[in-house]
Amino acid sequence: MTQKSLTAILLLLLVHTLAAQPTYPYNGILPKSVTTLALIHGTIVLDDQTSIQDGMMIIQDGRIVSVGAQLSIPSNAVIIDLGGKYVYPSFIDLYSDYGISNSTGQTEKRGNHEVPAALPASDKGAFGWNPAIKSETNASTLFVPKDESAKELRNIGFGAVLSHRMDGIARGTGALVCLADNPNISVIRPIAAACYSFNKGTSNQSYPSSLMGSIALLRQTYYDADWYSKGGSKEERNLSLEALNLSKKLPSIFDAGDKWNVLRADKIGDEFGIQYTMKTSGNEYQRLAEIKQTGASLIVPINFPDAYDVSDPFVTRLVSLEEMKHWELAPANCSMLAKEKINFAITSHGLQDKNLFLKNLRKAVKQGLSEQDALRALTTTPAQILQAEKEIGKLQPGYWANFIITSKNIFADDAVIYENWIQGKQFIIESSKKKNVTGKFQLTISNTNYDLTVNDDGGKNKASIQVIQPSKDKDGKEIQDTLTYPVTLTLMNEQLSISFEAKDNQNKGVIRLAGDISDDEKTWSGKGQLSDGKWIDWKSSKTAEAEVKKNEIKPDNAPIERGDIIYPFVAYGSKSAPTQETILIINATIWTSDAAGKIENGQILISGGKIVAVGQTIDAGKSNGAKVIDAKGKHVTPGIIDEHSHIALESVNEGSQASSAEVEESRVIDPEDINIYRQLSGGVTCSQLLHGSANPIGGQSAIIKLRWGKNAEEMLFKGAPGFIKFALGENVTQSNWWNDGTRFPQSRMGVEQIYYDHFIRAREYGQKKEAYLSSSVKKNTTPLKPFRTDIEMDALYEILQKKRFVTCHSYVQSEINMLMHVADSMQFTLNTFTHILEGYKVADKMKSHGSGASSFSDWWAYKYEVKDAIPYNGALLWEQGITVAFNSDDAEMARRLNQEAAKAVKYGGVPEEEALKFVTINPAKLLHIDKQTGSLAVGKDADLVIWSDHPLSIYARAEKTFVDGVCYYDESRDREMRAVMEKERARLIQKMMASKQNGDPTQMPTFKDKKHFHCDTLDQTSLGISFK
Amino acid sequence: MMNKQFNIILVVLMVMCSKIELTAQQNPTPSPKQSKSVLILNGIAHIGNGEKIENSAIGFKDGKLTLVADARVIRIDMSAYDTIIYADGSHIYPGFIATNSTLGLLELDLVRQTNDESETGTFKPSIRSAISYNTDSEIIPTVRSNGVLMGQITPRGGVISGTSSVMQFDAWNWEDALIREDDGVHLNWPGVYHRHYDKGKISIEKVKTYDQQLREIQSFFRDAKAYCSAGKQTLIDLRFAALCDLLSGKKILYVHASDAKAMTEAINFKVEFSIPKMVIIGGYDAYLIADQLVSHSIPIMLERIHSLPRFNEDDVDLPYKLPKLLYDAGIKFCIQNEGDMERMGARNLPFHAGTAVAYGLPYEEAVRALTLAPAQILGIDETCGSLESGKDATLFISSGDALDMKSNAVTAAFIQGRLIDLSSKQTELYHKYKKKYDEQKK
Repeated sequence: MTQKSLTAILLLLLVHTLAAQPTYPYNGILPKSVTTLALIHGTIVLDDQTSIQDGMMIIQDGRIVSVGAQLSIPSNAVIIDLGGKYVYPSFIDLYSDYGISNSTGQTEKRGNHEVPAALPASDKGAFGWNPAIKSETNASTLFVPKDESAKELRNIGFGAVLSHRMDGIARGTGALVCLADNPNISVIRPIAAACYSFNKGTSNQSYPSSLMGSIALLRQTYYDADWYSKGGSKEERNLSLEALNLSKKLPSIFDAGDKWNVLRADKIGDEFGIQYTMKTSGNEYQRLAEIKQTGASLIVPINFPDAYDVSDPFVTRLVSLEEMKHWELAPANCSMLAKEKINFAITSHGLQDKNLFLKNLRKAVKQGLSEQDALRALTTTPAQILQAEKEIGKLQPGYWANFIITSKNIFADDAVIYENWIQGKQFIIESSKKKNVTGKFQLTISNTNYDLTVNDDGGKNKASIQVIQPSKDKDGKEIQDTLTYPVTLTLMNEQLSISFEAKDNQNKGVIRLAGDISDDEKTWSGKGQLSDGKWIDWKSSKTAEAEVKKNEIKPDNAPIERGDIIYPFVAYGSKSAPTQETILIINATIWTSDAAGKIENGQILISGGKIVAVGQTIDAGKSNGAKVIDAKGKHVTPGIIDEHSHIALESVNEGSQASSAEVEESRVIDPEDINIYRQLSGGVTCSQLLHGSANPIGGQSAIIKLRWGKNAEEMLFKGAPGFIKFALGENVTQSNWWNDGTRFPQSRMGVEQIYYDHFIRAREYGQKKEAYLSSSVKKNTTPLKPFRTDIEMDALYEILQKKRFVTCHSYVQSEINMLMHVADSMQFTLNTFTHILEGYKVADKMKSHGSGASSFSDWWAYKYEVKDAIPYNGALLWEQGITVAFNSDDAEMARRLNQEAAKAVKYGGVPEEEALKFVTINPAKLLHIDKQTGSLAVGKDADLVIWSDHPLSIYARAEKTFVDGVCYYDESRDREMRAVMEKERARLIQKMMASKQNGDPTQMPTFKDKKHFHCDTLDQTSLGISFK
Repeated sequence: MMNKQFNIILVVLMVMCSKIELTAQQNPTPSPKQSKSVLILNGIAHIGNGEKIENSAIGFKDGKLTLVADARVIRIDMSAYDTIIYADGSHIYPGFIATNSTLGLLELDLVRQTNDESETGTFKPSIRSAISYNTDSEIIPTVRSNGVLMGQITPRGGVISGTSSVMQFDAWNWEDALIREDDGVHLNWPGVYHRHYDKGKISIEKVKTYDQQLREIQSFFRDAKAYCSAGKQTLIDLRFAALCDLLSGKKILYVHASDAKAMTEAINFKVEFSIPKMVIIGGYDAYLIADQLVSHSIPIMLERIHSLPRFNEDDVDLPYKLPKLLYDAGIKFCIQNEGDMERMGARNLPFHAGTAVAYGLPYEEAVRALTLAPAQILGIDETCGSLESGKDATLFISSGDALDMKSNAVTAAFIQGRLIDLSSKQTELYHKYKKKYDEQKK
């Protein structure tokens, strides 16, 4: 021992002796922590790096005094001989609500229309307006130790947890507590971390009703907190913001869940200079590169899914490829994270049955997680995340005496945790002295001998008796009869009790025995009672050891068979992404949707993601080395652009307020929506993902290119301007709700006022903002009041600045004219009317205002406001010189938009080339991306489709769809992928069947289908009534 | 003789023009009973039975077809016809049939007052769609102008939703419209799986009450069987009485089922209750149990072709190629379009068949799936479904391929020989506003 550590021990002893002055009364004679304990002859694992064979550890007053190979044991110490057992630091769980009453309350209210409209009044007092912001919550003030739940965690090795109230978006602070009983000692850090999530929890406020609403609310709250700290506090008292500002210095933990939500949360963190630690869902392995890039530490669950019951081939179709693959790969998540050097802690959260924790931990180790990394994820890493690495997580002098004693290496399958010591207090989990009663015995009762067999059956003793006795069969012939009795055998405090019902010649009825086991476990003896109540003596002696079941577990060095990780992690994902090529397409009929018109027998060269040349013939020098595609008899068109889509989104509507300009679809893109691939198969290369039509001012759109396999950020159309959804008519006035709504507006008259009110406010906001910005530049002006960034007003102000464009859901002429008046008076142009089914009635007015139209080809009669819709709408608008697009608003129809364009020919006689423009260059113009895409011209993005037939014909199939020169859909590759997928499913089905036969638990298949959104799909609705 | 010849397009335009002035915002007037003899010459006739005549001669009189032949090989006595229509290069099809349709039962989805497609209750076989069928629906004219001239009007809702009837689309009232009254009873097979919403995802699980629901259906049919075999009843139960014709084979049992499990159970049910005629409506999985369907002679009214695949792993074009798969498997089927916007979407029914062709179904088979096949399934093929002498002259002429929206252009349509008015509220609104803008230009 070094001099230094000795001094430390002396100091500690001194401090502890002097410090024992509890504030709380004690009923009886006050126990004092005077006992010193010395644990000797143990394999002491100090941390994930170091362990000591045959080491010793001295603890006193809840803390470790010293630990080492040879220590001088104080004379007053109680010595505990570990007899070679293992000692580890107790585990730390960072995601827990241990001891917090009503933590989660009821689950989030979704699934009905009866959610009250967002009303400004708060019933909370001087806190923030939205009950999902609970930053004032201090978990330590709510904490009450609960032995039942503490025991559950102690039994699987945990000694301390970060406990917080799992309710709300800003959940306040969590407390670091030990799993011991005295809260005055066990709360070791009352304010240890700030906790967040996307789930609004028990809030009865309808806002936010969507993921994008949660994101917006949290961002606005951070902006508000910033304003508050810079002087806003002089204008109002807001305890939620005060608490949030105080908690900014703490480690921040975000319950993100799914891998994409980790990225979404990280993006918020980046905006406000916060690095969250992310609680994940265990599927991070599916996007390791992106997860690593966040730089976040993770808190990872190990609740691996059970295998699916795949015995019925029809029902098995309900199990998706990703679910099958996740079943196989989930246990390897931790090992893959470790391999990528991503810092992570492991949590027991999410395990319905906590007893599976060690089993799953060992499963993760078998899948390649090193024991060192596993131990680190349970001890030093969580301690470091909480900046408590000087207090817990290791066995070192001065640390809390939180440790477990195990029978052997804890990662061995049959290792048992005997004890878990928390702050120096011993909790016995399983007796290490338990006597073994298995084997074959001769049991002698009075003078009768029985053959008793006791086997170990999964930790329980299973006993039976066999008696062979002479008997006679039907013919009177002498035979040997074998009788078998089931036996109840229990062992309690090393005392045996045995009972069985005898039916032999010597004894009849229930015999009950009680007795002791000899030290060598070979003989048992005691007293008993026969069925007639007569007391007898009995004994039993071991004749043989129990037969040990053959170990069927595969040796650890067996190769681990795992399928590939595919991108995206769903059907039609692939191991490697398709790449950009240099391609020359020849002999094609090329519909350029550009000045060159239609080129018969033409050629087009793409390279580096751009169109390099297009024409009747191409300069041969340019096409050197290009892959040539002979498209004889085929047609090439620009990629189809869907101006109105709701695919690939986690949420569509945040409709609880009349304006939700602050929400952004770009933050909730689901890049793994199968509909992206399906639309590529219909020639679509670009879509505007719009907010729904539940409110007059909806949210901000995302314009994406369908880069299947990429992540959300990579799908966003670079350089596209901002858009926002507006809506008019029945949806925003809630007139199709089966109960009357309360949210303003309820009539078209109110809709007009919403627009005027919001634009006037936005204009005033803009003036304030400009003044503030210029005052911060000019130094000698008098300082203005602190400026509060309002992300809703920012979006509206951008419209007034002509930096953001409006796509407005619209049907009826009166309100279309109204909105154009509003725009005129506010000096901006209403960019696009979408749906616009009565546009043909006001085409002249739209033309003079400068609006474009993005319509359905032939939809009508699905509600009152579309009773005058006609399929000639597109043609009439086009004849008036308006930029007309046809859109889908429907994941199915989107893959046939070329056919929808053909209806402009059928209804109203639009020329074919012009009709095709309805789904190519015209929507590109409406989206202000026509410089980059939408037509086939040199220098533009290589977004194009090769069709098997005339592109406006029902018989045309998209054979190849290119986005940026990358062939994301190829009919022939599609067929190959189907085969690969089928093979992979077959392999996994075989593996699951094997797992079932092995006796592992299984689950019935369930089919998880993404909702298919339309305009007015409300996130709260159960089945998303889908009218348009 | 020459003065009897008309250019059909002129006729149609004349009718349309007169309507714009006189009957704006009204549905077209039904045509009077047809009696004179008409000959359509030189059109490409798609017979409906899988055959095609490139250069046809089609004659009809008194509403019935009198001649269907190859114009190049027969002698025609032109003088025998009152009207001769030259359809050179145009296509002629039997009127398309919209099976499993709710046309005329519901006008505007979200306006409750216009919704009569479903009665309350669970077992209601005696409910009859025919009497609710609104011949003045503004949707019907927009459907027939694309070649869809008949429909099986089908009630929805409950386990047994009621009894359908087959209607033609040119009538003053539902009685006039009837082609086959009460053709069959519709049983919605209970879902073996049901959908529920959880944390942003819809999941489908085995329905816990499935067995119970199945027992209820069985007990309903068991009781009906006893009721019907008892002969004359002293107490009349309308529900059971509506099933007697079904049990005797005079009516058809239409079972709405789509997944393999439900269809297999429905087939077992057919056997258990010895139901003579059963048709499955839906049938997404039909190709997986083709042998059973063929051996029990069960045809399929195939669910909407323009649909998304049900499972992520399904072939992206699976719904498009289902007709081809059924055809290859030898299953009798027709094409229908139940689902979102099914009434206004009925005018796109021909294009569903077009997609089937794009994905492998032979063209004339696709025509059959909209004409003779549904007529046979509905039991009206004696009089409808194909261009054959003696059958109703229900047909239309399209200047181009009617299965392709690019070329579908119906120039004339006849229902039981009557030349129908192809205008609609929609064409009227079109002309009204076109005129407005044309006048602005002047």
